[in-house]
Amino acid sequence: MWRRFFRKPDADAEIEEEIEAHLEIEIKQLMDRGLTREQAQVEARRVFGNRGLVMETTREARRYAGLDRFRQDFRYAARVLRRAPAFTAAAVLSLALGIGATTAVFSIADTIFLRPLPYADAARLTWVAIQFPSASREFVPAPDYLAWRRDNLAFEALAAAQPNGSNIALLGGPEPAEVHVARVSANFPAAFGIALAEGRTFRPEEEFPNGPRVALLTDRFWRDHFRGRPNVAGAVISLDGQAYTIIGILPESFVYPGDVKVDLLTTLLIRPTASHRDRSVVMFAVFGRLKAGVTPAEGRADLDRLFAVSQTDAPQLFRGEERPVLRTLREYRAGNVRTLLFVLMGAAGCLLAIACANVANLLLARWSARSREFAVRAAIGAGRARLARQMFTEIAVLVAAGTVGAMIVATAALRGFVHFAAGELPRLSEVSTDLRVFGIALAISLATALTCGGIPVLRAGSVDPQSVLQHAGCGAAGGHGVMRRVLVAMEVALSVVLLSGSALLIQTLWHMQNDYLGFQPEHVLTVSIPLRGASFNGPARDRVAFDVLTLLGRIPGTVAATLTECTPVTGGIKSATFSRSDRTLPDPQHGGDPIGVCKVGPDYLKAAGTRLVEGRFFAAEDYHHPGSVAVINESAARAYFPGESPIGKEILGEGTGTWKTVVGVVGDTKNQGLNRPAAPEVFVNDTSPSFTQDLLILVRSLAAEGALARALRDGLRADHPGLFTKVETLDQTIGQMTASPRFNTALLSAFAAVAFLMSIVGVYGVLAFAVTERRGEIGIRIALGATPRAVLALVMKEGAVPASAGILAGVLGALFLTRYLTTLLYGVRATDPATYGIVGIGLAAVALAASFLPARRAAMVDPVVTLRHDG
Amino acid sequence: MLDRIELMQGTLDLLILQVLQWGAQHGHGIGQAIRLRSQDALQVEHGSLYPALHRLERRGWLASDWRMSEANRRARYYKLTSKGRRQLLEEQSRWKQLVRAVASTMKPVKE
Repeated sequence: MWRRFFRKPDADAEIEEEIEAHLEIEIKQLMDRGLTREQAQVEARRVFGNRGLVMETTREARRYAGLDRFRQDFRYAARVLRRAPAFTAAAVLSLALGIGATTAVFSIADTIFLRPLPYADAARLTWVAIQFPSASREFVPAPDYLAWRRDNLAFEALAAAQPNGSNIALLGGPEPAEVHVARVSANFPAAFGIALAEGRTFRPEEEFPNGPRVALLTDRFWRDHFRGRPNVAGAVISLDGQAYTIIGILPESFVYPGDVKVDLLTTLLIRPTASHRDRSVVMFAVFGRLKAGVTPAEGRADLDRLFAVSQTDAPQLFRGEERPVLRTLREYRAGNVRTLLFVLMGAAGCLLAIACANVANLLLARWSARSREFAVRAAIGAGRARLARQMFTEIAVLVAAGTVGAMIVATAALRGFVHFAAGELPRLSEVSTDLRVFGIALAISLATALTCGGIPVLRAGSVDPQSVLQHAGCGAAGGHGVMRRVLVAMEVALSVVLLSGSALLIQTLWHMQNDYLGFQPEHVLTVSIPLRGASFNGPARDRVAFDVLTLLGRIPGTVAATLTECTPVTGGIKSATFSRSDRTLPDPQHGGDPIGVCKVGPDYLKAAGTRLVEGRFFAAEDYHHPGSVAVINESAARAYFPGESPIGKEILGEGTGTWKTVVGVVGDTKNQGLNRPAAPEVFVNDTSPSFTQDLLILVRSLAAEGALARALRDGLRADHPGLFTKVETLDQTIGQMTASPRFNTALLSAFAAVAFLMSIVGVYGVLAFAVTERRGEIGIRIALGATPRAVLALVMKEGAVPASAGILAGVLGALFLTRYLTTLLYGVRATDPATYGIVGIGLAAVALAASFLPARRAAMVDPVVTLRHDG
Repeated sequence: MLDRIELMQGTLDLLILQVLQWGAQHGHGIGQAIRLRSQDALQVEHGSLYPALHRLERRGWLASDWRMSEANRRARYYKLTSKGRRQLLEEQSRWKQLVRAVASTMKPVKE
């Protein structure tokens, strides 16, 4: 370092002196020819040229002698690549998309499946539950949770949480706001090994129903609502009208294990005396921390023992189908996105394979075309090593450009993922570009490029330049033809797989969005008003409801507004066992036939825009005797009144003692969501609260949602200050419901489109190259009398063979692979023959079109020109 | 006199090695020798010559020392190393190959 530093001026001085000597010699020679010294000096300078430039280039030659060759190679490579923009763009784009997409998808998969969960010693954390096949859900009844927590041998801690993740609560204050509250057992923070950023954790007595009400804030909530103010512990906030004392702040790294938005944690209310003989049994989601050294299998054995005890205690609850479940937290978290992720990983893998095949193809074609150039270069003195180095520099430049592109693609794709799939994929907030995955994808592409680029290079190096130059045009690497065709067939096959998959998903989306919904979603709004706390009991709620409905009726554009418990796409919150007065009652111990129950006001039918099939809907008079009449949907009529009219029948009297007379039948709506058939549902003439005092109002209005929301807020400010209202259109709700299928479809379609393009480029490239390569042969054929049509057929056949082989293989592969898509499909079968037919024929048509251009060029070959050129 | 010919890439190295096989010479002399031997057809730019000399020296094909020149002044003299001599032979044979090959491709054009 120092030496170089000191030597530099030294070397400069030497070059300076060398040039000075050169000029002196020149001057002397000129003076010998009779010039004066002054004339000679001027002339010598003129002849020498730009002295500064000579100094500069010589100095560079000295200083970077080692780098010089590399730089020369690099410049040469860049120049060569710039001169073939189509090739360069295709190769770089293939690499960028292949590596980028693979990295993005595998980064997500890695985060969700493989990366350690953000909890201390996360391997010991487990999901503990009882599987109830009848409800297709997993949870633990409170009495069993208490017993297991007390009697287990395998767990350091068993923590409980509310099974539905979190609730929305109303945060009191001058501007009421919705906050997401998760209720957990007092030992929850300890079980997850959470070290609080500030304050203390829950105390055991704080989970008793009459214990003190306390809350832990998440870091984000603390920053948003308390502006990160220190010492908030001890402050009091109001949730649903009740005072909660803040006891601490969770660390920034805290992630709630249940994929729901959580602003603060508070305690579950756990009755220590809870028993199976209670009238209602609360259910919990339970997480366990295994003791150090205890394996999940041992934990499972312990759980089996505990469950056996529970079963003996409550045979009426556990009737034999239930199974205890213990899964590591990681497995639990990966959950049902497994299918989606495997599909995406498969698609990304396909894309990477296609990209590699494409790059290989492009390189092979290009290298063969350049065999003459190599021969010339070898002839004028470039050694084989030098040639190889130059070619590899070219590959390196390509791959480097591809890598930069891939970084951009990966980052953009991850951003897109986080933005569009936030609700769909768990742990997404933790995702970042996985450099290991990036490295692997890069290595695969680099290896492909080197193998496909390197072999012909080495061969070219050993080719006798004379023979190549003499037989110019025949190409030194014609033998790669077969390999290129196999690569094209592979590309086409993989494209068929991706296209079929995306075609199936597109049909799913189409069905979801265009299937008859059973109602008119345009102009339908929901207004939700959370009413929390004792002050809204009974008459107070009725008064708010009355005021809101009156106000809504006065807002211009309102067609109908009604209190309801359900919307046409979300069904009711309550489910009952179907019963009718003229049949034997269902056995109370057995599940019986379920039916959704939704209490609604008289204008529900008008607001929802549902079709009346038979009888009538509720009239205002019906509400003098709430719960006396019922309207069922067509599903219920079909399922429970087959072959008879339900009108006048009495249903759902069990337990309540009041039978409800069926007065009408309405059309089915997609009350279980867009991708499931309608479920039996009954509407009841009742507007009293069921589980919650919150108001849900369905409004059909011609006014825009924003205008309606503003008018509503303004109108309520005087009489009901502090009331929180949320207005959403049903279209928004439907949009949220189709968000994840839309996301799946968009993603797989993007993969398929890119794959499709790449394979078409592959087909075209191979044929275009083959035509160029065989121009001489085609010229001879034409000279010997082949018609242009025959030549056209000859070349197109060359493209048709690998394309049809690829399509055949692709359809078979797709038939085999798309079965894994089944759970993501709706309205279309994974083996839908029309889909495969269209994809296959479509791809064949495009491949044919791609081979038409080169074929036409071949047919237009002028034999005189080509034969002469190749002479 | 022929028109001046632009030197093909890689040819200058060969020419320098060729000139130096008859003994040590300074930059001015090398340039002049190439010009004279090609009957003025090859004119070496100084901006190419000096970088080439230094590059060949770095590769170990040339060695240099300072001696007194005819202008009574210290000048840098270059001479072939044994490695440079081997390189010269190799480049000569390649050159002949190229000439043969190019000549044979020229034939059809001549008719």
